[in-house]
Amino acid sequence: MTDLYVWVVLAPLIGSVIAGVFGKSIGRAGAHWACILGVGVSTLISGAAFGHIVLEGGAAFESTLYHWGRVGDLTLEIGFLVDPLSATMMFVVSFVSLMVHIYTIGYMRDDPGYQRFFSYIALFTFAMLMLCMSNNFLQLFFGWEAVGVVSYLLIGFWFQRESAIRANLKAFLVNRIGDLGFLLGVAAVLFYFGTLRYSEVFELAPSLQGATLSIFPGADWSVASLICILLFMGAMGKSAQFPLHVWLPDSMEGPTPISALIHAATMVTAGIFMVARMSPLFEQSETALSVVLVVGAITALFMGLLGLVQNDIKRVVAYSTLSQLGYMAVALGASAYAAAIFHLVTHAFFKALLFLAAGSVIIALHHNQDMRSMGGLRKYMPVTWITSLLGSLALIGFPGFAGFFSKDAIIEAVHLSEVPGHDFAYWCVVIGVFVTALYSFRLYFLVFHGKERMDEHAREHLHESPWVVTVPLVLLAIPSVLIGWIGIEPMLFGDHFGDSLFVLSEHDVLARLGDSYRGEAAFIGHAFATPPLYLALAGVACAWYFYMVRPDLPALCARRLAPVHSVLVHKYGFDLLYEEVLARIGRGLGSLFWRIGDRILIDGMLVNGSARVVGWFSSLIRQLQTGFLYTYAFAMIIGLVALMSLFVFLRMQGHS
Amino acid sequence: MAELVVFYCFAAILVFAAFRVITVRNPVHAALFLVLAFFSSACVWILLEAEFLAIVLVLVYVGAVMVLFLFVVMMLDINLAPLREGFTRYLGLGAAVAVLIVAQLLLVLGSDRFGLERVGAPVRRAADYSNTEELGVLLYTVYAYPFEIAAVVLLVAIIAAISLTMRRRPGIKAQNPAEQVAVRRSDRVRLVKMRSESRR
Amino acid sequence: MPFVTPEFLPALPEILLAVMACLVLLVDLYFGRRHPSWVFLLAQASLVLCALLCIALYPEEPTTTFNGTFRSDGMSAVLKVFMILVTYFVLFYSKFYLDVRDLFKGEYFVLSLFAVLGMMILVSAASLLTLYLGLELMALCLYALVALNRESSMASEAAMKYFVLGALASGTLLYGMSLLYGVTGSLELDRIREYQSVGGEIDIILVLGLVFIVVGVAFKLGAAPFHMWVPDVYEGAPTSVTLFVGTAPKIAAFGMLMRLLVDGLAGVQGDWIEMLTILSVLSMAVGNIIAIAQTNLKRMLAYSTIAHVGFLLLGIIAGTRAGYAASMFYVIVYALMGLGAFGMIIVLGSKGFESDRLDDFRGLNERSPWLAFLVLVLMLSMAGVPPFVGFWAKWSVLREVVAADQVWLATVAVVLAVIGLFYYLRVVRLVYFEEGQEAAPLVCGTDVKVMISTNALAILALGVYPSALLALCVTALG
Repeated sequence: MTDLYVWVVLAPLIGSVIAGVFGKSIGRAGAHWACILGVGVSTLISGAAFGHIVLEGGAAFESTLYHWGRVGDLTLEIGFLVDPLSATMMFVVSFVSLMVHIYTIGYMRDDPGYQRFFSYIALFTFAMLMLCMSNNFLQLFFGWEAVGVVSYLLIGFWFQRESAIRANLKAFLVNRIGDLGFLLGVAAVLFYFGTLRYSEVFELAPSLQGATLSIFPGADWSVASLICILLFMGAMGKSAQFPLHVWLPDSMEGPTPISALIHAATMVTAGIFMVARMSPLFEQSETALSVVLVVGAITALFMGLLGLVQNDIKRVVAYSTLSQLGYMAVALGASAYAAAIFHLVTHAFFKALLFLAAGSVIIALHHNQDMRSMGGLRKYMPVTWITSLLGSLALIGFPGFAGFFSKDAIIEAVHLSEVPGHDFAYWCVVIGVFVTALYSFRLYFLVFHGKERMDEHAREHLHESPWVVTVPLVLLAIPSVLIGWIGIEPMLFGDHFGDSLFVLSEHDVLARLGDSYRGEAAFIGHAFATPPLYLALAGVACAWYFYMVRPDLPALCARRLAPVHSVLVHKYGFDLLYEEVLARIGRGLGSLFWRIGDRILIDGMLVNGSARVVGWFSSLIRQLQTGFLYTYAFAMIIGLVALMSLFVFLRMQGHS
Repeated sequence: MAELVVFYCFAAILVFAAFRVITVRNPVHAALFLVLAFFSSACVWILLEAEFLAIVLVLVYVGAVMVLFLFVVMMLDINLAPLREGFTRYLGLGAAVAVLIVAQLLLVLGSDRFGLERVGAPVRRAADYSNTEELGVLLYTVYAYPFEIAAVVLLVAIIAAISLTMRRRPGIKAQNPAEQVAVRRSDRVRLVKMRSESRR
Repeated sequence: MPFVTPEFLPALPEILLAVMACLVLLVDLYFGRRHPSWVFLLAQASLVLCALLCIALYPEEPTTTFNGTFRSDGMSAVLKVFMILVTYFVLFYSKFYLDVRDLFKGEYFVLSLFAVLGMMILVSAASLLTLYLGLELMALCLYALVALNRESSMASEAAMKYFVLGALASGTLLYGMSLLYGVTGSLELDRIREYQSVGGEIDIILVLGLVFIVVGVAFKLGAAPFHMWVPDVYEGAPTSVTLFVGTAPKIAAFGMLMRLLVDGLAGVQGDWIEMLTILSVLSMAVGNIIAIAQTNLKRMLAYSTIAHVGFLLLGIIAGTRAGYAASMFYVIVYALMGLGAFGMIIVLGSKGFESDRLDDFRGLNERSPWLAFLVLVLMLSMAGVPPFVGFWAKWSVLREVVAADQVWLATVAVVLAVIGLFYYLRVVRLVYFEEGQEAAPLVCGTDVKVMISTNALAILALGVYPSALLALCVTALG
């Protein structure tokens, strides 16, 4: 088995290396075939693994492949853990990735960096699969950083654009903050458990109950909370949770396939996956769960609101991604890990679909992304239209579609949860349903219905995209509709995940939900008795009224509610805060030290004084600025005196 | 007792001379005071029966190093005004730090730490005892390795000094005698055959 | 004292190198004009021979010879081999650098060999006397090397600063040594250690001597606040000399620190741990923060060196065998990374063009993707990003600091390392995402290209498989 699983990660890596190193000599077709073949192999094996472990209920597989190094008692190794949770992720990641690879052939057709792009996305697939299949924290961290680096490279793919460079730097820096937390979390795990292997850590996890640690003297922190919150900081960076969400909308500067693959379907879910994977740790700390819940709830509602005022088609989808990631985090916080992963799976399909559909629209309009110059595309692009409609319905949770099952399960789970903050979270996710419906259908109506606002030139060239673009759309639309029906029972209430997720019985909201579960149809029926469904319909209705019946109303609202509108347009001022305040403080500090150290101490004190501070040496080498030397020497003497006073003089005072 | 008087005399001269080295304005005087300081410390060493070291100090430092020093100082003709200015300008700060260091050192290095009861007086030797021979024996046996390294250090100093000073300055017009001697006729004179033009 | 003829065998590498250096000098004298490359080849050959000899004579047990002035043990052998290896690379880059600029001089190689000899003496010193002589031998060669290009006023200025401050530092060190000798009555490090263990209560003079010694060593390492010479000398010296000053002597300085503090002054360990903690925190802060504001790459790398020294001290601060091994690993890794980074400046430079400004790295990816990739590897490794070996170096020292219950120190170090990330990534950004003024593809010799590739790929390879080197450090320290 090991041999087979190794190829899941190796095949995309080999494809990437071939496309990256020999790109010039094998040409465009060679590059895309190498990568698609590699990812195809992964998808096949992942599918087989999924079938074997999840569907047939085979035993989870764990094996160590390679010892990287040994530090003291600690062994650093590369190994694979394929259990139902990672098998699910592997399958989703490789499948979506394969679709994106095929789609890219069409989308990037005219780009000069074609081979480079394929090399990057195959490399990304490799890194993401390493992350998912890891059986230890070190490899997890490796995958974590590797997807971060590839994402950095891909956001800045069009590096001639100033905005793309700014966006990728921003993504990298914001992620570093999260990664710092994550690294500290991993360090804390190592410090406390003395091992990095999941199985050993999870076995010891119950011992965390009540354990405290004092990092700074006098303050005792619960070890479990500390570890979990630090790890979650990493998740906040990768999964773009408030307040580290700022990079995701800007990351839309990258090519659309990247937005679909990395920033919707896979990489951003790494944080969610990680928290689910660490469920035995998170279960030990109610505080941490509460933090996850509240952060997720804030993200779910407030990021959705921002989607209402965006005009760039990809940014709307990006904000919807943020909001949906918030939903997943809420589910994690409510200990409904299975619901989070379920939503992750459904979301991966329908959000990749929506992004690829948006990309299809963008190709048709010659890379114009402004929704204000779209409209009425229904006639010209039937396949894109139908698939987007299906995707939007899935996103808003229309009964029967994939998103419905997963999102309703989350809302119900939060309703039953008793973690501190659950009331707030519940209201956030419920109102979020309305907001989601509003912005999704705003996009839908603005793009596919209504007046045709594009210019004449663009209208003449409008036509449906080639098959390499539409086939992935159709292939993704199928699961977007069906996966909910198929998935809900085994994933939420059945034995899909086996013991790869761990929930304490007092937290187990899904079990309680399962008690009243009577099949898919009844679940839909139940929805008619709860507010979310009506809120979603109200959202659609509002969108229809605002953008189809009275298109003048939105502008009027924006004028009337100018303060609110401006807050939303400025994204609550986070960009301003980070760029103008925090980044400036950092830069200021650097130049301040430089000014004090180099300018004032050396240049200031000495350039003026150099004419006077001339010693014996300066008469020999007059033309040199000997003044400098004087300060250097003096600084050394001062250092010497300081050390002497600290260690000798004070010690003597202490003795006598 | 007489020895003690002699010691204190030379010690006082030594301290005075060393102090003058850094306070006196004329660099030539400073160098001469340094010579005086070397002399008096050589005398102190003789009191300690380290004759060889004392004589080497006088020979090498006074005879060679300081003479070289004096040459350099006199050849370079140092402007004294800025020197004085800088000295007073930073005198306060420098003095404060110096006092701090000296005070701390005195606190630690009192005579109770290095007094006779701790270290013990050196053994008196007979008059025919050869200090030089003993030193030589030690240097070529026990300290052979450091001695060899010291030789290498000196070699490096010579190499460095020569390679830093012996250089061809760009733009200097100097003759190369070897080339001049080795010159051949063909380098200097070119014989050109021309057909004489016929007159019309 | 009865005299026994000392055993010469353990010191054979040093003896060989001294002889070879003199031979190189003679060859330069007689054949230097006509066959300048002979000097270079002979110098490289003597380094290789010397390294092989060091490996062949690897001591199973620590041996002391020459009446307690010379010690050969695992640490000295490993450090020597790596110093020679680093110098081998340095001379290679130097030849390229000097050839291009018509600065080729036989003395350059002679002085380099003598500097290596000094370092070797330094790391296997068993007495204060040999330690000091080795240090001076090394330092004297370095001063001269910095000043070797007399046409450059920058270089002369740098050399003068280096020399004067170096003299001050070695004076300090010497004073500290004389205090130790005065109080213990011996120059041998073993005797000095024994004195402390017999003495019972710690003698305050020892601590005083320790202060002076720490100051002297801190200067050599370039630890704040004794770091001020570093940026000026790094910037002013010819790049090939900067490369030398920034790499092999750091390994030697680590050896010196180990000899003095661990071999000699183990009795006042508590005190030197506190002193080094102050120096370490200051160095990491000064290095990482001031580096951000630099526009000259050599200056930036100088500040980065200061920061790395701060990290390097962490392992020694841990005060355990494992901690020393981590520091040793760090210093070796640092030397390799510094070699690559300064080597890159040399590779990218040409006649009349130093390529040492950050702007010169703009758009390198367009001109040479392979070299751009190597820059990426070097910078990320220096920043401590996995899977490059720089990460392992940082990781191992941090781990030892945490194991020594100094969690706060580790936290401070991590925070400062993250700040440091900024300026390394800025180089990567310049290389990959900025337009350069120069568009022509880069041409440089295959030989240096192979050298720099080996160098950078070694960093990558060590990152994937660091355990061998780490284990070597652990065994070397016994």
